[in-house]
Amino acid sequence: MTAAKTTTTAPGPEPLGLSAYGAGDALGLWVWLEHHGGVLENVGRELLGKGRLLADQLGAPLVGVLLGRREDLLVPAAEAVALAADEVVLVAHPLLAQYTTDAYTKAFDRIVRAEKPAILLLGATPDGRDLAGRLAVRLYTGLTADCTDLAIEPQTGLLLSRVAGFGGGIEALIKCPWHRPQMATVRPGVFATPVPRPPAAGTGVIRELAVTLTPTDVRVEVLERAVLSGAGLGAAPAVVIGGGGTRGDFRLLGDLAELLGGQVGASRVAVDQGWIGRERQIGQTGTVVRPKLAIACGVSGASQFTVGIDAADTVIAINTDAEAPICEVADYAVVDDLFRVLPPLLAELGHRVKGS
Amino acid sequence: MAAVEEIAGTLQAQEVQPIVLDDSRWEKVLAATGGWAAACLQCGLCSGVCPWGRVRSPDAPPVSVRHMVRAAQLGLGFDALPAGAPLWLCTTCRLCEVRCPRGVPVTEVVLGLRELAWQEPWLSEQVPPELAGVLWDVYWDGNPWGRPPSQRTVWARDLDLPSYDPASHEALYYVGCTAAYDRRAQQIARALVHVLRAAGIAFGTLGEAEPCCGDAAHSFGQRGYLAELVAANTRLFRERAGVPAEAGAALTPLLTTSPHCYDMFEQHYPGLRGVFRPVHYTQYLAELVEAGRLSFSARLPLQVTFHDPCVLGRGNGEFEAPRRLLQAIPGVELVEMAANRAEALCCGGGGGRMWLETPANERFGQLRLAQAQVTGASVLATACPYCVACLDDAVKVDAGNRPASAAGEDRGQGRASMRVLDVAEIAWMALSGPLPDTAPGISPGGTP
Amino acid sequence: MQRDQSPTPHGTRMPGAGHAAIGPLHIVVCIKAVPKPEEVRVNLETRTLDRGSARTEINPADQHALEMALALRDRYGGRVSLLSMGPPLFIPYLRVGLAMGADDAYLLSDRAFGGADTLATSYTLAKGVERIGRETGGYDLVLCGEESSDGATAQVPPGLAEWLGVPQAMYAGAVSLEAARSGAASNGRRLRVRREIKGGHEVLRLPLPAVLSVATGANVPRFFDPARRPWAAAAHVVVWDAAALAVDPTLVGTFGSATQVAAVEQAGRAERRRVVIRGTPAEEARALATVIRGVLGNGQAAPRSPS
Ligand SMILES: Cc1cc2nc3c(=O)[nH]c(=O)nc-3n(C[C@H](O)[C@H](O)[C@H](O)COP(=O)(O)OP(=O)(O)OC[C@H]3O[C@@H](n4cnc5c(N)ncnc54)[C@H](O)[C@@H]3O)c2cc1C
Ligand SMILES: Cc1cc2nc3c(=O)[nH]c(=O)nc-3n(C[C@H](O)[C@H](O)[C@H](O)COP(=O)(O)OP(=O)(O)OC[C@H]3O[C@@H](n4cnc5c(N)ncnc54)[C@H](O)[C@@H]3O)c2cc1C
Ligand code: SF4
Ligand code: SF4
Repeated sequence: MTAAKTTTTAPGPEPLGLSAYGAGDALGLWVWLEHHGGVLENVGRELLGKGRLLADQLGAPLVGVLLGRREDLLVPAAEAVALAADEVVLVAHPLLAQYTTDAYTKAFDRIVRAEKPAILLLGATPDGRDLAGRLAVRLYTGLTADCTDLAIEPQTGLLLSRVAGFGGGIEALIKCPWHRPQMATVRPGVFATPVPRPPAAGTGVIRELAVTLTPTDVRVEVLERAVLSGAGLGAAPAVVIGGGGTRGDFRLLGDLAELLGGQVGASRVAVDQGWIGRERQIGQTGTVVRPKLAIACGVSGASQFTVGIDAADTVIAINTDAEAPICEVADYAVVDDLFRVLPPLLAELGHRVKGS
Repeated sequence: MAAVEEIAGTLQAQEVQPIVLDDSRWEKVLAATGGWAAACLQCGLCSGVCPWGRVRSPDAPPVSVRHMVRAAQLGLGFDALPAGAPLWLCTTCRLCEVRCPRGVPVTEVVLGLRELAWQEPWLSEQVPPELAGVLWDVYWDGNPWGRPPSQRTVWARDLDLPSYDPASHEALYYVGCTAAYDRRAQQIARALVHVLRAAGIAFGTLGEAEPCCGDAAHSFGQRGYLAELVAANTRLFRERAGVPAEAGAALTPLLTTSPHCYDMFEQHYPGLRGVFRPVHYTQYLAELVEAGRLSFSARLPLQVTFHDPCVLGRGNGEFEAPRRLLQAIPGVELVEMAANRAEALCCGGGGGRMWLETPANERFGQLRLAQAQVTGASVLATACPYCVACLDDAVKVDAGNRPASAAGEDRGQGRASMRVLDVAEIAWMALSGPLPDTAPGISPGGTP
Repeated sequence: MQRDQSPTPHGTRMPGAGHAAIGPLHIVVCIKAVPKPEEVRVNLETRTLDRGSARTEINPADQHALEMALALRDRYGGRVSLLSMGPPLFIPYLRVGLAMGADDAYLLSDRAFGGADTLATSYTLAKGVERIGRETGGYDLVLCGEESSDGATAQVPPGLAEWLGVPQAMYAGAVSLEAARSGAASNGRRLRVRREIKGGHEVLRLPLPAVLSVATGANVPRFFDPARRPWAAAAHVVVWDAAALAVDPTLVGTFGSATQVAAVEQAGRAERRRVVIRGTPAEEARALATVIRGVLGNGQAAPRSPS
């Protein structure tokens, strides 16, 4: 580890406070590659894709960072190189086998102080936000949350983060002029997943950094960790909802939900007919969902129903009746028979009919 | 069934044990029910007439008013009762009150026990948790539907409703939260605005400043919070009333869409006496007809049966005004259901039930629709946004239960033989000919 | 859900039966007053946020945090203190929390605290927690909301934990106390926390004191007790300024903030777009697919990338 330099080159007053290092020392764009037992979170790939563009703009190296048990790190490290990274930093330690705030914060703090990256990006997953929030204070630097876009400010080379506030009603561009690293957590799904580059196009170095961790560093014990496939209705990113207009046939809706990694919901009329379980009911006396996308198929849009989808980022309605109230509360209303629209939609989205 | 016997067994077990009456509890029960808990004879007539007895399967014992009062008399929690959480099932329809030999105002007893349930740990497990959320919505947003206060007047964006001005307006129209936010109920308010304009009435509203009348807080038994709302709203209404009316002068009508709001202003706002005259719109329009200010000339050939909203009828004794209004429309033929006026069956939406789920086969609306269908009328008329919501819903469930052929090819059309309309909508149809106009892009009645 | 609704202020409650041995807990709940999100606009001339006309409420997530604190107090006994950093106009909202059942309330208020980002906010709140601890014989737990509805960063709780140097757990869904096998630390008690994570959950055990953020939806916040309102309206809210907290002036407010807002924009999310799509089913499907890909991003709707 090199001793932190105290010289800085940025102009103007520098309220660096307790900061570990300043802009003059900082170099490189780092991406935390979150994984579970060697399986990457997709947001890490997305960040490598976007990070490549930003790093090229800055003329800086793009570095992927992997923490965990050594045996879990090699496959994702190779993938990161294949995708975009100039370099992958591995921090292997038994105490990093699964995520804990204490061990990960300590390990990150050590390597950041030693290596002085200019930018550190993390996925805005529950663990990513848990870690970033703590690490930013330990490093005494600025952190932007759940960003929906990133850019480099041309004149200054500073990272510009686009963040949403007030329930998505306001967007702000935020920068961190003096403190380093400039940290951001980025919302999963906003950047495209890159495709692997041809083997000749780029090469990357895999490098290991050592940190000292002892069991007493970790104050929190993980007693149980159960990751189920598929979130519940309340947490699903997409909800495909059927109403009276489905006439009880939810098969296409189920296919669409599965394809989108979402869940199936229903209006009360559909539930009342016994077409689907009561736990699927959306609305005032059902569940209030807040997905990125709600697709209401054959639902008229009574107020008791629409309160259940008011918080959805985007609402799509498919209804034969252009005058149905649901069309008033939809971002996109398709005026057509749901049974005529869903099959080509599934095909468009790459659904393969089972067995073919 | 086994579970029921087990619970019933629990009750018996508790009853055979020497019961130590908890005096402090009994005093609280007495105070909360205005002393009425003591008057109950335990005759059970109320339990016999309660509509819950008709909709719940034999496996689920009916709501027993008698049991609730008994448990309260004994200072027992309601979990000792065989019927689950009967306290929150009651729709405060007052059907049973008509029968009670001791004149017990069962609704008052129920609301009093609900008030206790919020405060007393031995009862509090009975409060459905979602009701706290509704109260927060009233507190933060000024309406029980959790909708933004800034959107309260969106329903009337194109109507140019003036802000109430005591100097130039002869009525203050209190729209109410449901009519302001519920897409179906907005049609009622819009129809009413057109009818009032056709009658040449100069009126205004409080716009975005219109507060929640407190019906939800009242029906949940939140008397303490209701008192806060009433005090604040009374202040607001008095400020907006302008110069105090001279003694003997006619008071300005405070006109409501919903009989629930009317009931609140009439029964729970003593501070409005001598300031405004609360009136349900059916009463007001009937007055206008009688005064010759509103008349219907075109024929509207419709067979209509009228569902009495509990809170207008049994609650405030107004059975005739909506009927007089309907009968003033040439061509409208009023056919009564067997159970009408004081005997009318509740729609299921009162007493806070609008915020609680009811299984499809336990909804009073289904029974009421069947009663209405027997009359052969094509329109089921009523005069309350909650009734419209519950009955509309019953029509949809009913249509879905029919064989596909009867329901028609397109489920969105002509599948129901009966259409639910508010009296205000019928009045506007009579004046305008076509269907009530719609808010931009909203279809009337959900059944285009 | 047993509730103590007595209108008396703190100090007299009996610890919950059966759990008394392991209690009591002194819980500090961080509360922020926020404008109703849908009523905030960007002033297009000044390019600043116009919160003027918006109604204010307690940050919804913080109501869940307070409910969890009150439920823990109902169970284990103890005390619930409210803590907020903001202008004096936050005081009425602290009083709502007092009427819900909190015992006392503290406001950190000073012009110097204005313009704070999460780095400075979490520092200032940490100084507040420390002082509350000093004055009341220690704190056991700090509960925050999962995130605010205005800034929505969710960065204050972990930042606060770091400034305090105590362990943290975010998105806690259920919390209970258990006796520690050994050790005088945390009075022989530990916290068991169920935490909601992507597509599953985690159960953690951590020593006290600790900072938790409470998952929205973990509970239903109780309505305030009308009978407590008069007491809450008159209760003394302790207000501490920068001097009272002995903060480092370079670490608070704008000066102590690492981030700067370069621009604000209206995202135009107040109303739905209401785009009507008509055509042949194939055309409609193509248009919809584009919308769906845009909304969910490639990560979701596209065929999985090789891994
Ligand atoms: C107290 C109370 C609580 C309630 N709580 C809830 C609740 O929590 N959730 C809830 O959903 N409802 C609730 N309701 C019921 C609510 O009022 C409505 O009745 C219900 O939402 C209507 O369901 P729907 O839109 O599926 O059915 P309908 O209103 O029958 O609508 C069917 C729609 O499908 C369209 N359609 C028909 N065929 C096709 C086709 N082939 N392709 C495309 N479109 C087609 C039609 O045009 C129509 O718009 C509640 C009601 C009450 C009174
Ligand atoms: C649109 C917008 C975007 C922003 N983006 C960023 C950003 O990316 N990075 C950044 O550093 N700052 C950002 N800020 C500034 C940030 O909002 C403030 O620092 C604020 O003081 C705290 O952050 P928060 O509202 O995000 O709280 P969160 O971290 O989301 O709040 C979580 C919990 O912390 C507690 N808490 C938070 N603030 C207080 C308080 N004042 N008093 C008591 N308890 C509190 C509450 O329990 C709350 O539920 C942004 C502000 C806006 C309006
Ligand atoms: S008021 Fe109506 S619902 Fe309530 S107990 Fe009496 S009959 Fe039953
Ligand atoms: S009818 Fe009256 S007296 Fe008889 S049980 Fe009911 S409330 Fe009591």
